[in-house]
Amino acid sequence: MATIREKGYSHWAGTLCERRYPWWPITRTGIRLAFRKKAFKFVFAMAFVPSFFFLASIYISERLEDFKALVRSREALISVTPKYFNEFFTLPFFLFLIILVLAFAAAGLISDDLKHNSLQLYFSRPLHKKDYLLGKMSVVFFFVLIITALPGLVFIIFKLIFAGSFKFFLDYPWLPLSILGYSAFLAVFFAFYVLLLSASSKNTRYVTILIFATYFFSDILFGILYETFRKPAMALFSIRANLQQVGAFLFGQKPRYAVPAVWSFIVLAGICVLSAVILSRKTRSVEVIK
Amino acid sequence: MTAVIAASNLSKYYGNVLGLNEVSLDIESGITGLLGPNGAGKSTFMKLITGQMKPNIGHVTVRGRKAWNNPAVFRDIGFCPENDVFYEDMTGLEFVAGLLRFYGYSASEIKERAAKALDIVELTKDKDRLIRGYSRGMRQRVKFAQAIAHDPEIVILDEPLNGLDPLGKRKFIKLIKEFKSQGRTVLVSSHVLPEIEALTSRVVLIHQGKILAQGDIPYIRELIEAHPHMISVRSSDPRALAARFIGDRSIQKMSFGADGRTFVVETHKRDDFFGRLTGAVLEGGIEVEEISSPDDNLQAVFEYLVGK
Amino acid sequence: MTTKRAVREVFGFFFSLGRRTGKTRVFALLGLVPVILAVVLRVVLHGRSGDIAAVFTEILMVFFLQFYIVILALFYGTSVAAEEVEGRTLSYLITRPVPKPAIILGKYAAYSLLMFLMVAVSLALSFFIMNAARLGDARLYLTFLSYLGVLGLGILAYTAFFTFLGTLLKKAILVGLVFGFGWENVIQYFPGSTQRFSVVHFLKSLLPYRPMGGGGGGLALLLFRLEPTAPLVAVMILAVIAGVFLALACGVFRTKEYLYEE
Repeated sequence: MATIREKGYSHWAGTLCERRYPWWPITRTGIRLAFRKKAFKFVFAMAFVPSFFFLASIYISERLEDFKALVRSREALISVTPKYFNEFFTLPFFLFLIILVLAFAAAGLISDDLKHNSLQLYFSRPLHKKDYLLGKMSVVFFFVLIITALPGLVFIIFKLIFAGSFKFFLDYPWLPLSILGYSAFLAVFFAFYVLLLSASSKNTRYVTILIFATYFFSDILFGILYETFRKPAMALFSIRANLQQVGAFLFGQKPRYAVPAVWSFIVLAGICVLSAVILSRKTRSVEVIK
Repeated sequence: MTAVIAASNLSKYYGNVLGLNEVSLDIESGITGLLGPNGAGKSTFMKLITGQMKPNIGHVTVRGRKAWNNPAVFRDIGFCPENDVFYEDMTGLEFVAGLLRFYGYSASEIKERAAKALDIVELTKDKDRLIRGYSRGMRQRVKFAQAIAHDPEIVILDEPLNGLDPLGKRKFIKLIKEFKSQGRTVLVSSHVLPEIEALTSRVVLIHQGKILAQGDIPYIRELIEAHPHMISVRSSDPRALAARFIGDRSIQKMSFGADGRTFVVETHKRDDFFGRLTGAVLEGGIEVEEISSPDDNLQAVFEYLVGK
Repeated sequence: MTTKRAVREVFGFFFSLGRRTGKTRVFALLGLVPVILAVVLRVVLHGRSGDIAAVFTEILMVFFLQFYIVILALFYGTSVAAEEVEGRTLSYLITRPVPKPAIILGKYAAYSLLMFLMVAVSLALSFFIMNAARLGDARLYLTFLSYLGVLGLGILAYTAFFTFLGTLLKKAILVGLVFGFGWENVIQYFPGSTQRFSVVHFLKSLLPYRPMGGGGGGLALLLFRLEPTAPLVAVMILAVIAGVFLALACGVFRTKEYLYEE
């Protein structure tokens, strides 16, 4: 009988290299799948509209003489300071756009896997639960950071370019860190938030509604309770208000509501912890049928 | 015989992809098997005749009536879809009875029909369990039950044996044959050739959206003149028997089985071969144990046609 | 089978099914929020009937009108068609001898009733808890009925619109969310006729301006810039909205082919 070598096969004597980032294929696939949807591309583009307006304002702020007729009494509004950045990052419409993008891109991250029983396929590979969750969360990180950190840093760069000097950076050297810090905070929070809801149902349509409903409900609850009790602490019920409080803290601004920002941070961190616990239970390869 | 289902020049496009290509077909009463690999167009054809899709070109009628947007036609049709999907929050009985409501039966008649249908598929014991908790075989059976509960004249089954174990398949096949014996028309699709062979000898072969052939399996086989027939002869002395045919020009090919007891010939003139075989056996005094046609089955027919 | 009978049978099938799903339970639980708030507020604002009346209207207007019925209508409205396509159960329905519009109408009716019951229970509990001191006043019940009627009309109109979206679009839920929480929340505050391009404007036009027992400060935000339409006109427009979008939904469902995603 001919040896294997004669038949053209030779045993490979190399070392099997384990993939260092096992979560990366999950992230890559999640991002690709999101961009396959035509409507998502439109929504993703729309998410940059506020950025363009703010960028235009930065330009106008450096060319006030040219736009005097336009700005007139509004000069004070176009003063590019950390407050300006705080306004951008905590604009309610901007946060709504982030939610919208994530509803399109991330609602099905775990719910589709539950629907198609794909968890068994994932965990029958050399993949840990943490890699799976990190892979899914990284999809959210990607989209949130692109919408937040990227424009924020671009604002600073263009401010320096339009001003023609580094004065702005020297005045506020910590600003880029604030931008990155707040963007990272938003990314982590929204990752936990969206994945918690995505893991709650096999129906992606229902998850999409939950993503919006929970966000808006928290706001409405805050509105109702604040109108009734007139206590600023009611802001802790609102996801939007809490995000704004943390943003104000990171940008060194006075918070909108007379509640210490650390409380808002605790509330949001609590949501993340709850999410981590539930995600850990939901994502397992064996389905328990009662 | 008037066709129960008649398709004329039927074509269906999915964007630029051709699902069905100029299919003209008449299906008569009895069991007809629709056979083809995955993606051949079987489900497309079934969806067209059950009015779930509209043809792009041509038309299809069921008992002379168009299926698209014609709810009256569904009085006579029972459809068992391929997908393993249900209203999972319902019990088997609720599911079958609920769908029976759409036929205008009274409450007592619904109850009676649902019970009867579930009894036929042997789900009476589990009728009050949620479908969510059913096994795969039970799910297939309840799907079949909803298709037959209203006593339709025409039953259309899209891959009904998918996911069933061998015992389940046997039971199902028996059920379907019983339907035929009641004078109904059954159209069954499958990509598994032995399943179709077990159900019926009348098949429609479909591949890449086109009908390759239709009719009885042996008849279709006869049509394929390009390919010689294979005949396997098992005897006590196959080589001695084979030697008598070496000079026969009608024999295309001859081979011997690994067991040393069979020889297989390929010939275009099957009847001549059988005549000479009889003579050879008598002259040589050689014992013949078995004669069979290995390619007189659907698998071989399909492979010949696809390869054609 | 006549269309009327078919609608009735479809209604019965889906009302029975819809009642028992997990999602209905979740939405029904959501309706307990104003009830819990009502209990809390009743305790906190004990003895201050003016505040109670104003606060209740705030809850009603904000929670029910601008959140609860919109969310319910969005989910159930889009589910009329989308649920069957996504779940691949559409085959079971359209291979029955029922006209396709009957499926839409029957399911719409079933889900509308389901939503109405959830809203009615929530509204009744929260309203009567908040007004527990005045249960002997006959006008109270008329006020309750008028609120219930407004929310009922809102359910019918919103659900019809979202049903139409669900039959037409694959991503109806996102368009519906942008409409329900984007467009509706913004346009209603535009001055002049522009605000009439929202469903909530007509619903707000039907509400009494002052809450029972005086007050009305709580209405300030929600009635901000409201230029109300005459009640009869508002009811007619809401009915027309419901009718038109239902008819469109039936038309689309009848003619469209629904392909399952592979």
